[in-house]
Amino acid sequence: MSMEMFDPTARPAARTTVLARRPATLTGLRIGLVDNTKFNSEPILQRMAQHLGRRHGMTVAHLDRKRSASHEVAETAIEAFKRRVDFVVSGIGD
Amino acid sequence: MSGDDGVSDPAALIEAYFERGWTDGLPVVPPTKTSIAAALAAAGLNGDEVLGEITGRNTLVTADKVAINAVLAGCRPEYVPVVVAAVRSLCHPDFAYHGPASSTGGSAMVLIVNGPIARRIGVNSGNNVFGQGTRANATIGRAVRLVMMNVMNTRPGLLDRATLGNPGKYSFCFAENEEAHPWEPLHVERGYRREQSTVTLYASNSLYQVYNQLARAPEPLLRCFADALCNLGVSNVLGFSQSLVVFAGEHAELLRESGWSKRQVRQFLVEHARRPVADFKRAARLPGAIAAADESTWRYLFDDPDDIALVCAGGRAGSWSACLPGWGKKWTRSVTTLIGEPA
Repeated sequence: MSMEMFDPTARPAARTTVLARRPATLTGLRIGLVDNTKFNSEPILQRMAQHLGRRHGMTVAHLDRKRSASHEVAETAIEAFKRRVDFVVSGIGD
Repeated sequence: MSGDDGVSDPAALIEAYFERGWTDGLPVVPPTKTSIAAALAAAGLNGDEVLGEITGRNTLVTADKVAINAVLAGCRPEYVPVVVAAVRSLCHPDFAYHGPASSTGGSAMVLIVNGPIARRIGVNSGNNVFGQGTRANATIGRAVRLVMMNVMNTRPGLLDRATLGNPGKYSFCFAENEEAHPWEPLHVERGYRREQSTVTLYASNSLYQVYNQLARAPEPLLRCFADALCNLGVSNVLGFSQSLVVFAGEHAELLRESGWSKRQVRQFLVEHARRPVADFKRAARLPGAIAAADESTWRYLFDDPDDIALVCAGGRAGSWSACLPGWGKKWTRSVTTLIGEPA
């Protein structure tokens, strides 16, 4: 007699998402930064933004500091990013 | 949810679960329709009931998956309400699942069971409380880890990025010893009634034992704990800590005889779990050069006495207790959940 297996796994629920429109050029884009509050996160992000500013004329238009690296970006912050920036960089890892 | 794979040998069936990556490295108990139904019935749940969500991962946790994993772990049906409550704690926003589950720190999910269910289902609170030998302790904790792996996709090397991990990641469940306790038990302190049953979920990346056989008063005994809590390598020594201290046997008895309250114990630990700033700088736990004032400027591990959870468990004999440093209250909070059982 054959025996049955029971799948203990689950998959993420499917959700419809819409990707942000890809910019046609890098010049003059508005940068969003998500500081996850890990040590040196903001200095590294700001240094990177300065580099992008020099090379492409970009500016930091909004920075959000998360509650912690463990927490998600707040919905209010996401809405602010949508209004104010062209792309977002989040960091940092260990 | 299931499939007939044509396996007829029980040992081969166990191997088939390994091959699919559905185990924690130990053999599992293959579920059946009957055992899954019994697990659900014991918790008073329907299979499609949603127990919670890991929002950042779009992951809904349903009762049938928890039941399957509980059976795989070797749980008896009467353990399942504890597993369910622990899973609800995992999904609680205060626990902030992503960090403690996925960090390089490799936390164990420590489960502290309180209330009458502990004795009824046989969760060990006594000798060898963190060790092997008790089915309820071993399998409830294991079930929670299997849910994390199989349902929440927290698999080593993928969404579990533990550098070392620790053996408690297989299972870490125990009951508080409410009978031999100097104070009120944890769940009463957290607003539940003594006759209610709860499980408290707490993320900790290590456990170290604290020894003191000579102390005859709280102060010298607690100095050992303060020192242990504040070693230079502990992850949250820079503040925002949350720690669990488990008093066993002779230490618990000493504190009971002293008449010290929980508040006094916590206050003593807050005041003594500290090091000079210079120590942290010498060890590169704080940046910058050491200034003269750093030698006499204290940096404290805790800023709030309530960040130290005090629990009693373990055997009556012996001068051992334990500290379990938390993963950091900035990132996660321990969560206590009422254990629901069908009437």
